[in-house]
Amino acid sequence: MSQENPNSRPQGQGRPQGRPAETGAPRISRVDASVASPVKFFFASALLWLLVSSVLAVITAVKLHLPGFLNGCEFVTFGRLDAIQRNVFFYGWASNALIGLNLWLLASLGRFEFRNAWIATLGGLIWNLALTIGVAFVLLDSQNAFELLELPRGVAPAFFVAFLLAALWPAVAFARRPTSHVFVSQWYILGASFVLPVVYLLAQLMVLWCPTNGVLQALVHSWFLQNFLFLWLGASALAAVYYFLPKELGTTLTGYYLSTVGFWTLFLFAGWTGPATLLGSPLPLWIQSTGVVAAVMLLIPLTITSINFFGTLSRDSGWSRAWNNTTLRFVAFGLVAYTLATVLQIVFSARSLNAIVRFTAFTAGQQQLLTYAFVSMVIFGAAYFILPRLTGAFWPSAKLVHLHFWSCAVAVVGSVAGSLVFGWSQGAALAAAKPFADTAHPQAALLSSACAVLFLIGHVAFAVNAFGMLTSCSSSTDEGRQA
Amino acid sequence: MKNLNLILAGVFFTVAAPFGGLLLGGHAQLGALGRAPAEEGGPLLPALEPGLAIQGRQVYLQLGCVACHTQQVRPAGQGSDIAQGWGARPSVARDYVLQPQVALGNRRVGPDLANYGARAKSDAEIAAHLSAPAAGSAMPAYAFLFSPAKDGSLQPNERGAALIAYLKSLRQDYSSPEAKLKQ
Repeated sequence: MSQENPNSRPQGQGRPQGRPAETGAPRISRVDASVASPVKFFFASALLWLLVSSVLAVITAVKLHLPGFLNGCEFVTFGRLDAIQRNVFFYGWASNALIGLNLWLLASLGRFEFRNAWIATLGGLIWNLALTIGVAFVLLDSQNAFELLELPRGVAPAFFVAFLLAALWPAVAFARRPTSHVFVSQWYILGASFVLPVVYLLAQLMVLWCPTNGVLQALVHSWFLQNFLFLWLGASALAAVYYFLPKELGTTLTGYYLSTVGFWTLFLFAGWTGPATLLGSPLPLWIQSTGVVAAVMLLIPLTITSINFFGTLSRDSGWSRAWNNTTLRFVAFGLVAYTLATVLQIVFSARSLNAIVRFTAFTAGQQQLLTYAFVSMVIFGAAYFILPRLTGAFWPSAKLVHLHFWSCAVAVVGSVAGSLVFGWSQGAALAAAKPFADTAHPQAALLSSACAVLFLIGHVAFAVNAFGMLTSCSSSTDEGRQA
Repeated sequence: MKNLNLILAGVFFTVAAPFGGLLLGGHAQLGALGRAPAEEGGPLLPALEPGLAIQGRQVYLQLGCVACHTQQVRPAGQGSDIAQGWGARPSVARDYVLQPQVALGNRRVGPDLANYGARAKSDAEIAAHLSAPAAGSAMPAYAFLFSPAKDGSLQPNERGAALIAYLKSLRQDYSSPEAKLKQ
């Protein structure tokens, strides 16, 4: 594996995003131009889904403290909207954006021009169409009882084919790259692109198409979910961090040689951690204990990524430079969240602690720390870097960039902190055998609603800026290509 | 192709190992688990569900009740589920062998329902809770599961009756070979 080369960055690199160009528009390289169409499609789709998800999140948050809110119609009951919001967020926002991001990273790092990029766009079309149909089914008909497998099973083959076209095909095209270097980011992308379709297909088969016996369905589901969270979302986001951190700081990563060990240990252990989320369930104890051991072993990849990332940020005023760089501000925020999320995963796999927080808002806070504070913030940071290079334009408004960061940062800190604190408090009260009805905190739902509104504000700011750039870029793109 | 085969082979192994170790291992242990009597000569448990309850499960899934309710009682020492009165014994794998889709759930905005049928006093009580939850409850009213009767009172419609039958069928108040009820 090779270290990322900071001298190889494209022109326009390092200029604060969100600020108008001093001289001309950024050039679009031939490599970027070859993937511009599918990557822009994926990011535009992701943005639309993010807005839908944000509106639904506000509605579901309000419903938790005002159960009568929008309760006249069956189609907007909490149970349906909650499932739709989750699926739209994970499959619509995060997965669309990560497929696009991975595609760009593979092309950029491999320095090869994609031919037949329309195949990836076709995959994206199928993906989004399948998601739309799946959401409609949940809204109008029925859903499954497993998180992120709620969509009807008929959607699964479409998702699978779409992912093969959009993500696995580019990963295989990686083999044809002209350069012989292999960067650690590419390892993570290849791993993530292989894990998701395989795990999704097997989970669909064993839970929905040919259901296994009883509680084994929950075991399969926990295996799928942990793979999805850590090895699809997490690994893809880590790939982006391994790319952007050294590139934007113009330095080498501390302990880069360890990153191979970090990659393999993450993939080796994360897949076993599913049962650690099922402690106290009717599954055999040996299965639950295996999950706990695997969760503790995540300490190894966490230590290595911490050395890599925080070691790098701690050198040469790295934190301060990261703070003054739009992309790295989001990425560094995400890194802190990733570390906290993994530490919580390890610590709260202990049976005694898990018994307190299980089934409370605490676990939702843990998941939000990983999927929003880490993954989504890294995607935002990456978007601020990539989209100007694909569109040949700059972000229209620096103010909207600041509004986006601060709204989302404050919202996610408030939301996660609220979930962790109120979740722990409720768990402790239940452990003290207080009646369940007396343990709920009404202020938790209020805080959650306020944070959901803040998220929506931040996402609208981001979307206005992004669509402003995407829709005004056609002329500059052509100029950039000619240049 | 430098390193590609190595990466894919390695990643394949990392997926295959937990799949084999956890899922196939679990399947070898529980895949053929079926109903069994608590004692020799006793009835097979869990009991078969009434047809209406099977329809009611579909309503339960349709409405996403699993977003707020779990169906699993943890053992004493691993949470206070039994102390909360949600079950007389911990749930065991055999309790779920008849369920085509297990709704264990992951979050409790409302109480656990694994044993709800054993503690609900009557159909009328369940219907009243569904149509007009008590003040302070985070649960919304499911008015669309009810229709006005001739006397003006609300009566469960077909789906409402099915859901009530399903909720009544949720019982883990019997002894199982793996978890005996204390006398």
